[in-house]
Amino acid sequence: MLKVRRKRVCQFCEKNVEYIDFKDDRQLIRFITEQGKIIPRHTSGTCAKHQRQLARAVKRARQLALIPFVTDFTR
Amino acid sequence: MAIYETVFILDSLMQIKEIDAAVERFSEILKSHNCKIRKEERMGKRRLAYEIQKKQYGFYGSIEFEGNGDVITELEKEYNFNDKVLRYLTYRYDKSKLKVLEKAKDETTVKEEKPVVKEVPEPVEDVIEKPVEEEVKTAETEEKSEE
Repeated sequence: MLKVRRKRVCQFCEKNVEYIDFKDDRQLIRFITEQGKIIPRHTSGTCAKHQRQLARAVKRARQLALIPFVTDFTR
Repeated sequence: MAIYETVFILDSLMQIKEIDAAVERFSEILKSHNCKIRKEERMGKRRLAYEIQKKQYGFYGSIEFEGNGDVITELEKEYNFNDKVLRYLTYRYDKSKLKVLEKAKDETTVKEEKPVVKEVPEPVEDVIEKPVEEEVKTAETEEKSEE
């Protein structure tokens, strides 16, 4: 059985974002999991170009304590 | 010459005067190394995502500057020497950021140019020129009369 999967569109491409700023932590939070991991491309639907920028932005934001490196994940 | 930005987190318990002095010191270091400061920004006090040196809050500030890469070692020496600096990050603007900057620049220049063109009709120039000639003549005549 083939699953019919809806094709996701890159959210940055839709909004015509050219540069992802790491200081805008509210935007970045949408692209990390509860634990603080970066959400992969195949789940979020981000295009390759923007995923590269996003990864860099998240890593910079982590260093400046805007986003946590890890958060405790309790069930 | 490339464009860089340096972001730093200062101890939030510092007084406003101390913060001002620290930021001024950083910008002075940049200026002494022939750097052009483009923007100084203060994002203010905010909660840190995790504790740094057992502190929960920090004062965020940033300086955008244009210069050579060797300034950064000097700047980071100062950051390491200063105990009040909790964290810092200096990075060079990449292609995409520069593109955004250029676009913003173009938009502002277009906005500035348009009203200037409208404000300079031809009759204004004539009005300005005439009194200048008269003044010159009177000045000459006055000089002659003095002689």
